[in-house]
Amino acid sequence: MEFLSSIENSGFATWVRESPSLLAYTLFLALHTIGLAFLVGFTVALALRLFGVGSRLPLAPFASFFPFMYVGFLVNLLTGLVLFSTAPINFLSNPVMYVKLGAVFASVFCLLKLKRLVFSDLAKADARPVPANAKTLAGASLFLWSVALVMGRLTAYSRPVVIASVIAFVVFAVLFLAVVFVTRLGSRGEMSGQRA
Amino acid sequence: MEAFVNYWLVWPSIVNFLNANSWGWTLSEILHFVGLVMLIGTVGMFDLRLLGVGKGFPLEPLRQLLPWGVVGFLLCVATGLVFTLGLQANVPNPIYEVLMTDIWLQLKLLFMALAGVNLLFFYLSGASAEVDRLGAGQDAPPLAKAIAGASLILWLGVVYFGRLIPWAL
Repeated sequence: MEFLSSIENSGFATWVRESPSLLAYTLFLALHTIGLAFLVGFTVALALRLFGVGSRLPLAPFASFFPFMYVGFLVNLLTGLVLFSTAPINFLSNPVMYVKLGAVFASVFCLLKLKRLVFSDLAKADARPVPANAKTLAGASLFLWSVALVMGRLTAYSRPVVIASVIAFVVFAVLFLAVVFVTRLGSRGEMSGQRA
Repeated sequence: MEAFVNYWLVWPSIVNFLNANSWGWTLSEILHFVGLVMLIGTVGMFDLRLLGVGKGFPLEPLRQLLPWGVVGFLLCVATGLVFTLGLQANVPNPIYEVLMTDIWLQLKLLFMALAGVNLLFFYLSGASAEVDRLGAGQDAPPLAKAIAGASLILWLGVVYFGRLIPWAL
């Protein structure tokens, strides 16, 4: 506890928290969002392809985007540590934060497994059908990223608001997926029609 | 003008809904982030391909990812309107004052407009039709690269300025 408050009261953490400079709090916050956009965004694009959107798209070139995802993760790890240092006691006493961190690391683990499974031999990536495991890993990664993103947004709110918001998000996500599923069934029929 | 803006950009039904349901604002925030992830993930990948990353992608099938970026954009617009039209539920500042004084909101709107002009130029200049023919491994023409670079910078600017909006209030 003393250690945590010494972090919180350190010159750097105080500067980040209290300085009106554009290089202080807001920069770390904005970089945290941009890192998230690249890391999760490209995971979404890869997952869409594995689920069959743009199925004529070769898989191998997706490997070129992994460095962007790694940089995104690194940026978010560093900016996350800085943001954490501004109020460590607060963050560590917030259960929402633990769920978020657990989801982040589990999701990155799924992503790395996916990378090994699909992209370890680029020459073969497109020579065989997408392994069923790959879809499961992509789906798990997306699910875990939504947990991380939802929890990340909710760190600053009280418990009743967190619970209500999670329920609202789940309802929205189920409706969204239902619409996607129904419209994809329609477009799938179209595609097989084209092939015939 | 001030009265006009404050009248038309405040929707009491949205303000009342947000006041009555604590999850309204937070769900909008969450979906705003989901939308930006979908937008940057697909449009950003398309832009980077034109700039030369992952050149193994032929362009035409890569375009099939873009509708998901549009869905993300629409999520952001819809939830952004919730923040605007229902602002009173969250902060006391009248919307006219925020529009006139919040430099980050102004820059964000400017960058969104520029991104729109850039997209329009992509189609009208013929760059869009030209890149459609790009096969795996082929380099995009310089004009298409410039447009892709501008798109990437403008959308990242939108995210950056957007994140700063509350700090000017």
